[in-house]
Amino acid sequence: MGGLSVVGKGVARVDALEKVTGQAKYVMDLKLPNMLHCKVKRSSLAHARLLKVDTSRAERLPGVKAVATAADTPNIRFGFYVKDETMFAYDKVRFIGEPVAAVAAIDEETAEEAIELIKVEYEELPAVYDPLEALSETAPLVHEDIASYQAGFSAVKYRNVCSHTTLKKGDVEEGFRQSDFIFEDTFKTQVVHQCSLETHPVLAEIDGSGKASLWGVSSMMFPARELLSQALGIPMTKIRIQTVHTGGSFGGKVGYIPLGICLLLARKARRPVRLVLTRQEEFIGTNPRHPSIITLKTGVTSDGRLVSREARIVMDSGACAVDGPAVMTNTATSAPGPYNIPHVKVDARCVYTNKQPFGAFRGYGHPQAYFAVESQMDIIADKLGIDPVEFRLKNCFEKDGSELPTGHRIYHCGLKETLVRASAYISSARPASAENKRWRVGRGVACMLMESGLSGSGAFVKVNDDGTFTVITGTVDVGQGCSTVVCQIAAEELGVDLADISLIAGDTDTGPYDFGSCASRVTRAAGHAVRLAAADVKKQLFELACDRLEANIEDLELRDKKVSVTGSPFKSISVAELATMSIFERSGPILGRGAFLDKGGVPLSERVSGYAKSEGPSLQPATVIAEVTVDTETGRVRVLRCVESQDVGRCINPATMEGQIHGGVVQGIGYALTEETLFENGRILNPSFVDYKMATALDTPQIVPLIVEELDPTGPYGAKGAGEAPIVPVAPAIANAIYNAVGVRIKELPITGEKIFMAMKKSQGGKE
Amino acid sequence: MTTELISLVVNGEAHQVLVKPNWTLLDVLRDELNLTGTKRGCDTGCCGACTVIVDGKTVNSCLMLAMKADGRNILTIEGLARGDKLHPIQEAFIEKGALQCGFCTPGMVLSAKALLDENPSPTEEDIKTAIAGNLCRCTGYIQIIEAIQAAARNLAGSASRR
Repeated sequence: MGGLSVVGKGVARVDALEKVTGQAKYVMDLKLPNMLHCKVKRSSLAHARLLKVDTSRAERLPGVKAVATAADTPNIRFGFYVKDETMFAYDKVRFIGEPVAAVAAIDEETAEEAIELIKVEYEELPAVYDPLEALSETAPLVHEDIASYQAGFSAVKYRNVCSHTTLKKGDVEEGFRQSDFIFEDTFKTQVVHQCSLETHPVLAEIDGSGKASLWGVSSMMFPARELLSQALGIPMTKIRIQTVHTGGSFGGKVGYIPLGICLLLARKARRPVRLVLTRQEEFIGTNPRHPSIITLKTGVTSDGRLVSREARIVMDSGACAVDGPAVMTNTATSAPGPYNIPHVKVDARCVYTNKQPFGAFRGYGHPQAYFAVESQMDIIADKLGIDPVEFRLKNCFEKDGSELPTGHRIYHCGLKETLVRASAYISSARPASAENKRWRVGRGVACMLMESGLSGSGAFVKVNDDGTFTVITGTVDVGQGCSTVVCQIAAEELGVDLADISLIAGDTDTGPYDFGSCASRVTRAAGHAVRLAAADVKKQLFELACDRLEANIEDLELRDKKVSVTGSPFKSISVAELATMSIFERSGPILGRGAFLDKGGVPLSERVSGYAKSEGPSLQPATVIAEVTVDTETGRVRVLRCVESQDVGRCINPATMEGQIHGGVVQGIGYALTEETLFENGRILNPSFVDYKMATALDTPQIVPLIVEELDPTGPYGAKGAGEAPIVPVAPAIANAIYNAVGVRIKELPITGEKIFMAMKKSQGGKE
Repeated sequence: MTTELISLVVNGEAHQVLVKPNWTLLDVLRDELNLTGTKRGCDTGCCGACTVIVDGKTVNSCLMLAMKADGRNILTIEGLARGDKLHPIQEAFIEKGALQCGFCTPGMVLSAKALLDENPSPTEEDIKTAIAGNLCRCTGYIQIIEAIQAAARNLAGSASRR
């Protein structure tokens, strides 16, 4: 596709000016007259029967204007996949930090004081924290009524298992018989938090008609509205969710419970209510990444062909399902990796424990799976004496026509290209650093393939009377830059500069439905809807112009706010004139509409059961090559360089795309080496940035983004989803680089210096 | 709680504010003066989103008691541009795409300003050290470091032309 003028250019972000000047407003910056401040009373026990919540003393405290508990809700269970959540605990508390009550008061201090005055009587119950223990017949049950809970898919659930997924292709036992070598390894991944710099904020106001206006940071506004409507029994006409600027999400800002709590309090107090979670609440009360235990048994031939893989996955869901069933489905789908394996069997269970419910975090089940898959690929390559890149190329999916284990065929997959590009770069580059006796340098590769996109998005485009355009979308920019990308798409389609486009987004009342900023779907789905709406406008403009220009529609073009006849630039009419003509003389204002469904494939029913999703319509392939240096005396790791090549289809904006890769790599370094939420009996020991170590600028290595553009004709201008992939292969590439450097294989994340030190000590001891 | 009247200069404007003893400078800036460009990310001095410049030095405003700010001269992100003319650091952040969600950006820009005021030609390591107290979860810091390098070059260029 030649001649693109806005798409493909690294234009400055449309929101950059207001962000560098401090003018960009986030929800915590909004104030309304008579606004109250909200604080949440949270459970202090991991598992207990709730006998009584006495709010009388809190209600009497001067300055307290409303207190809400489960008694103020219809106690309808709700949830995306399994309907097991409530706004407030009412029969039991299931994790430390679960909301029990909430207060709205004239200031934060009063609200905090009131929270302390709420007396909760509990009858403590035996709790279960370990997902393997939770699987035993005798474990305490987190949800006794699980069998009666509704689910949004054909869930297999029992005891503490909220979703049991299986996948079977071929005959793994036969496959193992055909194999020359069999490898079995168990990998563990930890809880990591999204750590958006902005904590969850909500501002709620109820107008005179009883309609709730909610300013929140929901990256999925429309599904959040649906859940609120279900949970509180309020029609959607009475709920309006709006977002302003959002200070990061990474999957974490779904936020329907804080929205619901503020709505209830604003209704009771008849005053606006604002809640801003503290950093500690953000750690204990939101939904970080699922920890997992993944066992892979893999059969290979001596010449390096993968023959058979059996995977057993236990995913800790915490106290509610939230995103667990779908996250786990992704882990299950990815357990065979992006490789042609004739025989595959996967058994995956998502298990309740008395910990905070785990949720969506960039990568959504793939980082867990790929840490296991790509670590084991190197274990096998090392044993067989095959180059790790060659081994992957030999087994990985082809560009077109390869079959996923679920039966879906894939096309336009640039995975091999990403492997080739990354390894070509690294072999031509100078070594990152010379090694010495104490610090050893190692290099590791990992690749991955994840799906992207799901569900629908709509868009409108209006023609303004001066010939400029206004795009209305239901999408939300959570910081990743999709506002800029959808404006670029509209500008390209309409033949104008970015400055001629204005954008209205982030409002469930004015915008058409959009599933949200998740699943790497915005560029594809919302972007495509905007492109279609712009094309609709263009068609209407051409219909108006063809009489005036005495030309056929197919000979017209739209550029620089003029419709003209191709080849006769002087035969033209301005968009402003057409817009005005339409308003006063023809059919009224010009409105374009576009709707797009990113349709996935259905997995073969004879191969899968308990799947919480369909196959994604588009692919995000990526490869990382990491170079590290390891201190042989202390086990400390420094990442020197990460080369990440990613197939993004058409790259709409290279600057924002590279930003996604940089950010994903650095988040991945945290996942690999330093980040972990530590629990002791269900209590988080490190709910602060003091003790939860995310990477700083000093930890940032050299990062080389390499963009591969294998166009996908189903996306706008050939674009694929791209936001999540960058984090996924980082941890296994680093694990493989550490092995390459010092010869120890760590199968549990995070790979701390202590683990490396102990492993090195053990292996030296073994040799002596 | 006893309140006290403090005087402070913020972005060149003199203010008198009645403060409680437990209020921080961040509370005063955001809640009393409505300067919400300074962000609250952790309230424990770890994230740097609340960074402001007090008498030429960066401070985590969530850790500075308001009463300690009495008589001090404070620069927040709102005071950096001169009318419509952006500071070269702000221009470089836009040009290099050094921001995503933007929540860390005000603090990051001010840390960069304090660095370049003191050290006009920093090394990459100097830059990384200067912003090590400003967490960013989106960008991986790469484009931020590039922006600060570009701003240093631009500032040096304009200084030599003068």
